[in-house]
Amino acid sequence: MVKFKTILLPTLLLVLLSLEMAAQGPPIFTDTPIMLGVQGRGVRTFGNIISKENANAYAQILVVPYNITSKWQVDAVVPYISISPEGASSNSGFGDLKVFTKYQLYKKDGKGKTLRGLIKLTETFPTGNSTKMPALGSGAYQTTLSLVNGYVTTKYGIYGEVGYNSAGNNLPDNLIYNIAVGYPLLPQKYPPNQLNLFLELNGNYVFDNIGNNLFLSPGIQYIAGRKLLFESGIQIPLADTAPINQQTNYILRIGTRILIF
Amino acid sequence: MKKLLILLFIGLGSMTINAQADTTPLKGKVTIEVDGLACPFCAYGLEKNLKQIDGVESIDINIDEGSVLLGITKGKQTSKNVVLEKIKEAGFTPGDIKKENDG
Repeated sequence: MVKFKTILLPTLLLVLLSLEMAAQGPPIFTDTPIMLGVQGRGVRTFGNIISKENANAYAQILVVPYNITSKWQVDAVVPYISISPEGASSNSGFGDLKVFTKYQLYKKDGKGKTLRGLIKLTETFPTGNSTKMPALGSGAYQTTLSLVNGYVTTKYGIYGEVGYNSAGNNLPDNLIYNIAVGYPLLPQKYPPNQLNLFLELNGNYVFDNIGNNLFLSPGIQYIAGRKLLFESGIQIPLADTAPINQQTNYILRIGTRILIF
Repeated sequence: MKKLLILLFIGLGSMTINAQADTTPLKGKVTIEVDGLACPFCAYGLEKNLKQIDGVESIDINIDEGSVLLGITKGKQTSKNVVLEKIKEAGFTPGDIKKENDG
């Protein structure tokens, strides 16, 4: 971990900053305030390969957004999870269903740039089985209120998200914070043929004296024309509040977004 | 207060009427400035919306220039307000419209 922080992290930042900037798509782990394109008219699915000290897990997530207007969107998130703990039987099935709605608060457009912000309300339903171990769900209703902001130009994109998650069933509340920077590698055009790099920080501060979880998440994205996008990213823990023998080694995400509406 | 509200409603009403009043006909090829066009993957909605306009036969989106070149079928026309409304519906901010030489 020390080696990663002292050598790999500065190198990654240096490489990203030295790249010629040119346009990008939505970040891989952080939300976007731009509810256009596949953000409002398509489906997104991705697989998360989760490696922990005491278990391996795979989560296939389906996200279906729908734009009611260009300013107002509703989304449903359906996860299918499989967990294989070391020395115990595995468990698989649907996890907690999430439904969220986004509403655009402001938009300031300029030539080749846009500044947008929205408010997001997420409700998590405890549909995942939490009685059989390992649990597939949290066993609690959760409500998250977030603000998502972004400044996107034809040369780079900066995205930020901060949200407060209130959990039931005596689970601690938490503060979610994400930041992402996107750098395109290819000249931009339409129909797109884009290769984008992202560097993200994804954090989660858990109250009740539990502490801070933080991931550094580099990623790459390929936009293959009008309707198809492929992406992959890895989340590497910088801070983990889990007990030593349950800590996360990494989370690898491989996904696609398809425009269908 | 009541008078103020009435004036406000009249003001808002006239603004709406003015916004809908620009029925300037558009024919041939026109270039429209589109602000907020910073994400090529987001431009699909813009293309799709503009395709819905009767008479539009070609759409060329230029991300670098932040503009759209619209080709309207010979003998047909559309109106400025229809085009501007479709751009707004797609989530972008329309700018100036310029007539191009058909060559």
